[in-house]
Amino acid sequence: MSALVVRGLGKTYADGTEALRGVDVQVEGGEIVAILGGSGCGKTTLLRLIAGLDEPSAGEIAVDTVISAVFQEPRLLPWLTAAANIAFGGRRLNTAERQERTESLLRRIGLAGYGKRWPRELSGGQQQRVAIARALIGHPGVLLLDEPFSALDTFTRASLHDLLLDLWRDLQPAVLMVTHDIEEAVVLADRIVVMRPHPGRVQETLRVGLPRPRDRLAPEFDLIKRTALRAINRSLSPPPEMHRGGSGVSPWV
Amino acid sequence: MDLPLVHDTDRTVMAAEAPPRLPGQARGVDADLRRHDAGGSPADARVQRAAGLWPGACLGLVIPLAGAVAWELAVRHGLASGRLMPPPSRLAQTAAVLARSGELQTHMLATMGRVGLGFAIGAAAGTALGMLNGASRMALRLLDPSVQALRAIPSIAWVPLFILWLGIFETSKLALIALGVFFPVYLGLLTAIQSVDRKLIEVGRVFGLSRIEIALLVTWPAVMPAWIAALRTGLGLGFMFVVAAELMGASEGLGYLLLDGEQMGRADEILVAMFVFAVLGKAADSVLVSAARPVLRWQDTHRLRL
Repeated sequence: MSALVVRGLGKTYADGTEALRGVDVQVEGGEIVAILGGSGCGKTTLLRLIAGLDEPSAGEIAVDTVISAVFQEPRLLPWLTAAANIAFGGRRLNTAERQERTESLLRRIGLAGYGKRWPRELSGGQQQRVAIARALIGHPGVLLLDEPFSALDTFTRASLHDLLLDLWRDLQPAVLMVTHDIEEAVVLADRIVVMRPHPGRVQETLRVGLPRPRDRLAPEFDLIKRTALRAINRSLSPPPEMHRGGSGVSPWV
Repeated sequence: MDLPLVHDTDRTVMAAEAPPRLPGQARGVDADLRRHDAGGSPADARVQRAAGLWPGACLGLVIPLAGAVAWELAVRHGLASGRLMPPPSRLAQTAAVLARSGELQTHMLATMGRVGLGFAIGAAAGTALGMLNGASRMALRLLDPSVQALRAIPSIAWVPLFILWLGIFETSKLALIALGVFFPVYLGLLTAIQSVDRKLIEVGRVFGLSRIEIALLVTWPAVMPAWIAALRTGLGLGFMFVVAAELMGASEGLGYLLLDGEQMGRADEILVAMFVFAVLGKAADSVLVSAARPVLRWQDTHRLRL
């Protein structure tokens, strides 16, 4: 039983803009799937539909477990301290467990002793780490990530990739992440779903068969990056008949 | 590791003034360590700023004090008569006489009671309606146009009607004050609720909060600063309307003291009443602000550190 199944998902906004058409995505527990694509391909719309923030116009979403999310911006509640922000994500837990997990997550994200700080007293990278801890405290079965690292500098981003993988190994949630950063997708994901724009739909799915931790400098890494880049380029070119609307699997899998 | 965002100029200067060292000594690292070490104490920054504020606050006293002294001297040396603008010593005398007879306290208590009760009623009603209209689009469409129409009427214009309806005693005065307080509180709260960051509401929804929980845990704390600001505006208007209410006929209250001073030709009495108004208004506002401080601490810190 997959943690997250999306079938034939479509979204047309009130103004007639068709953002998504016939999208199928499936994520197993313990799997990381990256949605990769240029702007306007409906990546964020897809995530918002799954998170329940918008209503789909067509298709269905089956989620079996607790969902949580990390957004592009940290979106911490500014009136809560870092610790209280993390605890906010664990409202379902009992008080003792919530406190215990908050403390341990603060340590895990390298912010032990920062629990009493207000969000505004933290750097962008620190805030995003708190947001990741907030998303994970409640043992989610599905974790949605909406370009959570895109606003960060390269070094901070790399350290957050490591942090995310580290925390993900413990809980093994199904992760669906949206990104426009090819390297990020190859570093983190088991599968990469490439989307094409206008309207957003799946172009093809790539399997990243590399063992973790992944070496960004290894030739295989580079090969997959190039394959993904070619897929993106195809998604941006005028659609050849064979790709239209379908979700093919690229030949090198 | 990201460094904490503290601009600790003090320590940086210290490091720069350290005695010169031999080349090759790890001075840069040392300075870095000091700065890092200072990172944990926002209190430092707060103390520095507070200390920096003192001369500024005193500076504000220079003009009123100099003016008072100059006027006192001018009247003493016969350069001015001081009949329409009595010198500070006369005012102090008048205040002392009024205080000794207990008259001043009676007036102050009457005014404070009216403002307090009128403010409580107006603020409660404004908050309740602001919350209702902020929570329900239906209620907003039904009620807000009428409220806005009533708001367009200058509050003082209600006075004749209130007197006809409620009599010339306390009830009509309270109604006028409550009305004056109501509008800014209602409008301030409603605007704040409508402009709460949608992104924070979404956080609540993603984490599975109910509508009530979102209202209590996200919307309410988010609008708190604007609500406090609206209450302060309302309180200020409450003092404005208590004067209007007391001028229209009262047997006690600072507004009555104003009117009495006018009729008796006693400028000193008027000025004492005005001075007491200033003190009471400022004190009431300070009480409100310090009552709100604990819940606005997150914002306070932000402002001081910008």
